[in-house]
Amino acid sequence: MITLRNIKKSYFVGDRELPILKGIDLHIGKGEFVVLMGVSGSGKTTLMNIIGLLDKQTEGDYDFVDTSVDGLDDERLADMRNSYIGFVFQQFFLLPYLDAIENVLIPIVYSKKDIKHPRDKAKTLLGKFGLEQRIHNKPTQLSGGEQQRVAIARALINEPELILADEPTGALDSKTGNEIMDLFRMLNEEGKTIIVVTHDPKLASFGKRLVRIEDGAISEDIAT
Amino acid sequence: MVLFQKISQLREFVEEVIKILYYYRGRVIFSFSGVTLGILSICIIITTIDGANKKAQEIFEALGPDSIIVFGGGERQRAARMRLSTLKVSDADHLARVEGIYDMMKVYSARNVTMRYKDRNWQTQVVGSTMNYFESMSWGFQAGSVYTASDYANAEAVCVIGAKVYDELFKDENALGKTILVGKLPTKVIGVLEEKGGSTGGHIDDRVIMPLTTVTSRIVNEKRYLSMVRLKTHRDLDKTIEDVRAVLRANHGLKGNLDDDFTIRSSKDILAFVTVISGSLLLFLGTASVVALVVSGFVLANLFYLTIQERKKDIGIRRAYGATRKGILLSFLFESILITFIGGIAGILLSVILGGTFEKLFDIPMMFSFKVVVFAMLFSFLTGVLSGLKPALRASRIEPIEAIRG
Repeated sequence: MITLRNIKKSYFVGDRELPILKGIDLHIGKGEFVVLMGVSGSGKTTLMNIIGLLDKQTEGDYDFVDTSVDGLDDERLADMRNSYIGFVFQQFFLLPYLDAIENVLIPIVYSKKDIKHPRDKAKTLLGKFGLEQRIHNKPTQLSGGEQQRVAIARALINEPELILADEPTGALDSKTGNEIMDLFRMLNEEGKTIIVVTHDPKLASFGKRLVRIEDGAISEDIAT
Repeated sequence: MVLFQKISQLREFVEEVIKILYYYRGRVIFSFSGVTLGILSICIIITTIDGANKKAQEIFEALGPDSIIVFGGGERQRAARMRLSTLKVSDADHLARVEGIYDMMKVYSARNVTMRYKDRNWQTQVVGSTMNYFESMSWGFQAGSVYTASDYANAEAVCVIGAKVYDELFKDENALGKTILVGKLPTKVIGVLEEKGGSTGGHIDDRVIMPLTTVTSRIVNEKRYLSMVRLKTHRDLDKTIEDVRAVLRANHGLKGNLDDDFTIRSSKDILAFVTVISGSLLLFLGTASVVALVVSGFVLANLFYLTIQERKKDIGIRRAYGATRKGILLSFLFESILITFIGGIAGILLSVILGGTFEKLFDIPMMFSFKVVVFAMLFSFLTGVLSGLKPALRASRIEPIEAIRG
């Protein structure tokens, strides 16, 4: 599903080149549950952005679902993100003027897939995550854990193959965080490919594979 | 680029934009009211100018394009609302001989003459006139008809009454053949005029018309002067006016650079007057509306610009979930156009309401037309596009990672 070959990424500050990723080789297959671990500044978020087609590498090749994405334009990339990836963020990023179900439906506005009865589907998803009473609540009326579950429902509505989560438990207490990780485990059992990016070593045990990033390179890649 | 695959997506998109506008309503209301005011004044300008033009055209047509009117008293006295008797009966006789003149109407009007019928009194203006008065005013009769040549020659006590006078004296009674007192003169009513009303405020219907001879010999004792003479010419209007002026100046012994003691008006003057009025209206209200629109456009653009900082995450999320740059651009543009469009509609509605009130209060004719709506919508659309474009472009250039990191 994901094949990264010698991926390098540098930022330029004036004339100075700041290498963030120093040659990443990584293959992630369909149905895996990978925890991408690294301390702040290790390059893990940059790697996630490249995997999520939100950023482009400076060097190297990236194949995503059997397509080389290196030369794709904005529209094609937007399409691929919409079709194949569901994002989950630390700060949830729900839109304040929409209620829970409307937030879940955001990807549908841009979707080219033929999702049948998206509203019913959004309801079912929210129900599955224990939010049937919260469907018409605005984000400010929801707890952190509830907001994150709405965000996960949003990630799933367009039936992507990959869930990409960046510090999904970072803004939650550890009990709620564990519940969210259990939810990912459940989704993985249902067949979704999951990548969770985190600095928190406690989350390692939830995944099936641990990839540790240190100083822009993979230092450990083991099954857990 | 196909932005939406399905109608339901378009609906979802529009609903979202409406929710966004509601969420940021505090800011939206500012730009909205600015646009409303701008569009309102544009509508008022167009309707008033159209109305004035239509009115002028009507007067022009009623007067006839070949008409010249001469009043007693110079421009200055007229400006001070003084009515001087300087136009003599003998002047009229001379004017009749000016080259090209084929028709002449002579008028002497007496103000504040009391009419009596039974126990009813009414003060009005009595217009003594030649028989061609009604035809030249293109004024029809509700009942009866104009006085005859023999009535005129013999200074008979007959009169034609305006619709207002009829209402005041007769209500719904039949007036024809009845005798009323005009001043002290018992006079037979032989005609009732149709109501002209309209933008003249009913003044024109409040008058009684009698043969000129009757008025000057039996109501007021005034055999030398006239209030007004109307001439028709088949020659060039300007040349005829020159001749008329020369005859009158010679008759009145005005030499060198002494001011005229009479006033000449033609239908051209009326059109010129309307043009001046429209011009100043356009200048003042036009400036006001352009300023209002530009200011509201800037307010809109700036508020939008500020909002974008706040909505970075919104943009980032949408981009992550598949919105293209164009999609973001269009949704922001749509937001600003929606604001100005609704503002425009509000402006149009307001102008319809205010326009009606204006018409009643200030006697300004308004011509509300489809053109106004098209103009107003075009202007509000343009304001929306112009003020929304820069912020929308900026929004579309925000990179998703930049937005999400923030």
